[in-house]
Amino acid sequence: MKQSFIDAIFATAITFIMLSLTIGGLIEVNGIETGIVARPWHVFFGCLIVFITQLLRSQLLALLKAIGCLFKKIAKIEQLTEHAIQLKGSDKFHPVFLLIILFCLTAYPFIVNDKLWIGMFIDIYIYILLALGLNIVVGYAGLLNLGYIAFYAVGAYTYGILNHFYGLNFWLALPLSGVTAALAGIVLGFPVLRLRGDYLAIVTLGFGQVLVILLRNLGDITGGPDGIGSIDRPTLFGIEFSRRAKEGGIPFHDFFGIEYSSIAKDFFFYFLALVLVIFTLYVIKRLIKMPIGRSWEALREDETACKSLGINPTSVFAGLAGCFFAAKQRHISPESFEFIESVIILSIVVMGGMGSTIGIILAAIFVAILKDYSQDLQEYRMLIFSLILIIMMIWRPRGLFPVTRPFIKIRCKDKKVDGGQ
Amino acid sequence: MQFFEQILNGITLGSIYALIAIGYTMVYGVIGMINFAHGEVYMVGAFVGLIVMTIMSSIGTTLVPVYLVVMLLVAILVTSALGWSIERVAYRPLRGKHRLIPLISAIGMSFFLQNFMQLSQGPRPFAVKQLISGSFNITDDFSISYMQILIPVVTLVSMGLFTYFISKTKLGVACRATEQDRRMANLLGINTDSIISVIFVVGAALAAVAGVLVSLYYGTVRDTMGFIIGIKAFTAAVLGGIGSIPGAMLGGFVLGFTESFASAYIGGDYKDIVSFVLLLLILLVLPSGLLGKAEIEKV
Amino acid sequence: MLFDLSKRAIAIFVLIFAFSSVSFSADKIQIAVVGAITGPVAQYGKMQMDGAVMAVDQINKKGGVNGKILEAVLLDDVCQPKQAVAVANKVVSNDIRFVVGHLCSGSTQPASDIYDEEGILMITPASTSPDITKRGFDLVFRTIGLDTQQGDVAGKYIINKVKPKKVAIIHDKQQYGQGIAQAVKDQLDNSSVNVVLFEGVTKGSNDFSALISKIKGLDVDFIYYGGYHPELGLILRQARERGLKATFMGPEGVGNKDISAIAGEASEGLLVTLPADFTVDPANADLVQAFKDKKQDSSGPFVMPSYAAVQIIAETIAQTKSEDPYVIAKAMKKNTYKTPIGAVAFQKNGDLKEFKFVVFEWHSDGTKTPIN
Repeated sequence: MKQSFIDAIFATAITFIMLSLTIGGLIEVNGIETGIVARPWHVFFGCLIVFITQLLRSQLLALLKAIGCLFKKIAKIEQLTEHAIQLKGSDKFHPVFLLIILFCLTAYPFIVNDKLWIGMFIDIYIYILLALGLNIVVGYAGLLNLGYIAFYAVGAYTYGILNHFYGLNFWLALPLSGVTAALAGIVLGFPVLRLRGDYLAIVTLGFGQVLVILLRNLGDITGGPDGIGSIDRPTLFGIEFSRRAKEGGIPFHDFFGIEYSSIAKDFFFYFLALVLVIFTLYVIKRLIKMPIGRSWEALREDETACKSLGINPTSVFAGLAGCFFAAKQRHISPESFEFIESVIILSIVVMGGMGSTIGIILAAIFVAILKDYSQDLQEYRMLIFSLILIIMMIWRPRGLFPVTRPFIKIRCKDKKVDGGQ
Repeated sequence: MQFFEQILNGITLGSIYALIAIGYTMVYGVIGMINFAHGEVYMVGAFVGLIVMTIMSSIGTTLVPVYLVVMLLVAILVTSALGWSIERVAYRPLRGKHRLIPLISAIGMSFFLQNFMQLSQGPRPFAVKQLISGSFNITDDFSISYMQILIPVVTLVSMGLFTYFISKTKLGVACRATEQDRRMANLLGINTDSIISVIFVVGAALAAVAGVLVSLYYGTVRDTMGFIIGIKAFTAAVLGGIGSIPGAMLGGFVLGFTESFASAYIGGDYKDIVSFVLLLLILLVLPSGLLGKAEIEKV
Repeated sequence: MLFDLSKRAIAIFVLIFAFSSVSFSADKIQIAVVGAITGPVAQYGKMQMDGAVMAVDQINKKGGVNGKILEAVLLDDVCQPKQAVAVANKVVSNDIRFVVGHLCSGSTQPASDIYDEEGILMITPASTSPDITKRGFDLVFRTIGLDTQQGDVAGKYIINKVKPKKVAIIHDKQQYGQGIAQAVKDQLDNSSVNVVLFEGVTKGSNDFSALISKIKGLDVDFIYYGGYHPELGLILRQARERGLKATFMGPEGVGNKDISAIAGEASEGLLVTLPADFTVDPANADLVQAFKDKKQDSSGPFVMPSYAAVQIIAETIAQTKSEDPYVIAKAMKKNTYKTPIGAVAFQKNGDLKEFKFVVFEWHSDGTKTPIN
């Protein structure tokens, strides 16, 4: 007790030094004069929080451990039930279960019938798409790709540029976006995969940055910092989802002879995104069972082996998501593809449990809500994401809902290889 | 004459990179991790410098050297505490884990600091009052500003002090021993955990010096200033050979020159690309850098 | 699993409901005021918000419009196209039908696409890029001039008054900055003034030393900057420090007290094209006093245009007794309004029939004096 008290005093003193001259003084600009406003209470509360947490450190750690065990149990139940809803003798889900889920997701937009709620799920689907792809790279292959959002950008700009200059429609551009993103993955993969883990991370980050700089500077092609606007919406068999159709198109409300309502296009995008997510889930499920999936898992265990295999296939999903994003937003600009977005996707993967699909989906829902739909927490969202990254690494580096595949614990001389968590 | 001015720009920029790169290279040398949050330490240092400066000017200080010394010392104090805390909170619990785990934690820490500063001061640039202005005009179109002299001088002094510390003091020897072989140093009775803390503190102090100097030189401080410069300083560290302290200094200057000339003769738009391309090339062609020792990879 | 899932699902939906605060009320008319509340150009956003909120307050004090009170919904787009699109979608899903904004041309452009399609009336009090009103939209208006007008004023001033030998034009590569820089360049090229450099800088960067050395090497005596004040402030300061002696000029995006805070002495003598100073108009004396009472500065270039935008919406709603944006837009194009920025009438495309830019000389204490 005495020791923890001394520790707490020490930690508080350090905190005081840090806080008093950062948050403790607010720089106030008044015309051309700069003044300072003291904020003693901010410092006081900061110090108080640190003091209390330090004092109760052992108790808090015990609590965290207990919560961790709880999550582990949940994950176990999940796995058991996963077996229950799977067809016997195979790893396919029970068709009845799948149908129920599919029905719920199909019914959802009709039940809420509100732009905000539908829009939220569209965002969630985009995050799921992105996170599923990154999950393969990070979760299965153990390659920390910090430039993942670059593939998303490639997909988005593929559609943006082709549509802007050549009037290419969405359905043609969608596969092309996947192809260009895959090409970008291969181009990046050649030099990068020779590098070791942390260097690979930094170089992929650099790749993402270079791409954003190019998007900003190649103004004639990419529109520079303003980006590309007025991108065409996708059509459904020639039916357009806008108030006024372009030449030769039919607006949907004329086609069906109903009043124009802008919510129709939200429905359309909802189902488009849903189809993309289902497609991705299906492909990933197949990939994992294929030899290449096994080798991805092998990669995670053996760093040097990563030199032999590519990260390219997963960039396809990001490319598709990017194309969808461009079509939905109708406007793309470099800010959407900054490093911070990669970090957000990374925090989904980290939170959801590397390699766990269900965990990823839940984390994507959480992150999408926190990012775009939590008005009260708007200012603090990046702070929360960054704390999630740190806490997860210390507390549960394998995520909240880690997958436990059959494994053998190997104790190396040098470092502990821990398959459990 | 533009040529000579660009050389001067390169020296100034290079000094800054070198100061920050030392922090990266030391940490990497000892615990083999990229301290992604190091750039943010530099940013916090710059903010502390600005706050101290504002307080001093509201008290009515007039002497420029007093400003400089107090700003530097306080910024060093605060960032030292910060460097220590970062290591203690976000990295120490992860010692011995897989390489990528502390890296993700460091990315989290980097964003945490950036957003913390953004929330406490606001997401916009803050102007820094011009403390030292003017220049020596050598010819009509060639001049050296006082800041361009001050920055290399302060950098050289800090590096001198640092070199003295690392090569002559007992603590410095312990640092080097830890860097060469952490386990062996531990066996020989060096408390490697506290040495690692010392390394973080020293690295943070040098970053704070860079932060204060940059804020005076460019005249602006903002929450996002640490990210790009952090990556560039890391590039400098890799360029010089990661783990090598003279390498970090050399790498900083090489990068500074490259950038200055790139933005003069290729175009300012592409100067950031130059450093990233340089990083990629170095890692592929010469992974041990200019002055680094070849690393034997344990498989 | 199912039990588990449903528990989680409930938790998620509770979260959703807790976080989203959608308010809908019939006896209010909501006007979204969108600009940069945070970020590097937040000062301009504050001008815009101050003006709009003041208008809303004063109209409500007089009993509102048609028995309903106005409500200003302040939204932040950080002057980023990406955020602008997100905010515009938010406006759509919250069923707000009137928008005063956005601030930066680069974000107004994509947002107006959405507003037009969703039938939302938009008046920007700050975006000067001509492209915004070029697309034949019915619901897009502005209460400020155009870059072409501004570039015209600047170009003529440079050609007739400054008469420089060599000119460098720098811009920030954004719709607004590059647009106005191009407009000025075209003017100068036409009267064969020697433009030796036309280069973009990256928004948000802070090291311009290489660029300055380059300009010094070109022996330039006049520099035009298209963009916003954070970058120009640093360029001015670093240029002065390096002994670059040239006259600088910029558009209204640099006319902000912050530029003097950043550049200090170096901002003395900077030339800026701004809307005429509305605060000196005797008709606005009461309004200026009202701003003073609230401890707000009414001299910023976007305060009065923003006030005028809200006023125009309110007056047209009162006059037409309708809240249908299309009806209001139609009426707006016929009417003439008496506003703090003078008599306002709109052209068919939503631009003002008349708007004047004036060249100001900037001083290092953050004040400005009109030239002519």
